[in-house]
Amino acid sequence: MLDIRRISTRRWWHKKKNWIFFGIFLFLVFVRISKGALYKDFYYFISKPFWPGQFQKELLLNSSEQESLMKLNLLKKDNLRLREILYLQDSSSNDNISAAVISRKTGSWWRQIILNKGSKDGVKIGNSVIGPGGLLGRVKDTSLFTSSVTLLTSPESKVGVWLDRIQVNGLLVGVGDNYPNLILYSKDADIEVGDFVSSSPASTLLPPNIPIGIVQSIDESLKAKKTAKILLLAKPQAIDWVQILKEKI
Amino acid sequence: MYKFFTKNTSLILFIFIPFIFLWHPNWFGLLGIQPYWPLFWLLPWSMINGSISGIIFGSFLGLILDSVTVGSNFTQIPGLVLCGFWFGRIKIYSNNLVGHFRYGLICSIGSFLCGTLYFLQILFKNFADSTFLLFFPSVQNILAEVFLTGFFAPLICSQILRLFKFSTEKGIILNFLNK
Repeated sequence: MLDIRRISTRRWWHKKKNWIFFGIFLFLVFVRISKGALYKDFYYFISKPFWPGQFQKELLLNSSEQESLMKLNLLKKDNLRLREILYLQDSSSNDNISAAVISRKTGSWWRQIILNKGSKDGVKIGNSVIGPGGLLGRVKDTSLFTSSVTLLTSPESKVGVWLDRIQVNGLLVGVGDNYPNLILYSKDADIEVGDFVSSSPASTLLPPNIPIGIVQSIDESLKAKKTAKILLLAKPQAIDWVQILKEKI
Repeated sequence: MYKFFTKNTSLILFIFIPFIFLWHPNWFGLLGIQPYWPLFWLLPWSMINGSISGIIFGSFLGLILDSVTVGSNFTQIPGLVLCGFWFGRIKIYSNNLVGHFRYGLICSIGSFLCGTLYFLQILFKNFADSTFLLFFPSVQNILAEVFLTGFFAPLICSQILRLFKFSTEKGIILNFLNK
């Protein structure tokens, strides 16, 4: 009798420690499946006292006037082109959400920002995020109160872009530094330093004509394609307020 | 309450790692890059509890950090598991001064291992196009992270290790008194 009891107390399920351990494991699996939503929402509350103030918002809105002028010129040109082409997407929508940046990882591998607006405010996965200067990235996932944005500089980011001067589409690929690479799959493309890059009207991921950046340097060493380093107009490391574009492509 | 906090210091610090990872304090950074925070917790934990515990909590840390970062294609688990295993085989050194610098060196190597494994995943995924474009920024990322992790490790790891040892000893004493 004594032996049986001794054996039974040795079983793993009789140890409280193992059950605690199993509970922690289940909790972590839940966190992983919910993509850290619990953590991000908790972070939303504890970081609330440190969010950027209203004064900074006004400053940034003033600096975005310059961006608006640039955008206006692009839209005029686009209108002319639209008269010639039969169909292009509509880009007139003011249905945007203002959000503050509550977490920022602009170095290292994980180039992301977390915003204080989530699915509760109508943010959806795939929405574009712009800041003073132009496009910052796209919403990768949302929790109830927050949304995570993959920046254009992230190695995960690949978006279609448009070079207005030479009227060519290209692919903007993040490589993990502050200057994403523009890939043009044509050796003959007449790209020059200083060319302006915006989102492509043909893109299925982004609204057309959002300013992105300027060509900083060109690499012609490859045989089949041309690549260029792009200096982004919007600086994610300095921006505290952004706009989430709700419009559908 | 005090008893609870004293007994569970290590777990409370474990829960706060993702928050510091999200917070990304700029004054700790170099070129926008941060030290690899999870190693500062994993090293003392594994040194006290051994390799098996290091592997398990390394994978737990990886799970949680993968959830709060947007890169769903890549994972930090392999690097942290390997570090957990390796850290568990390291003995606590009696000489304090040498011990402090040893933490720096160990964390630097651990950070290099984690960074390289993460980079290899990115490289493997983007093998078809623009592989060489990824190379230079990634090397810079790894080196900056290695330097920062090694720089802060002697300070942070020794304090955390002291805290863990203190909580373990305190726990034993409290248990003994209760009995």
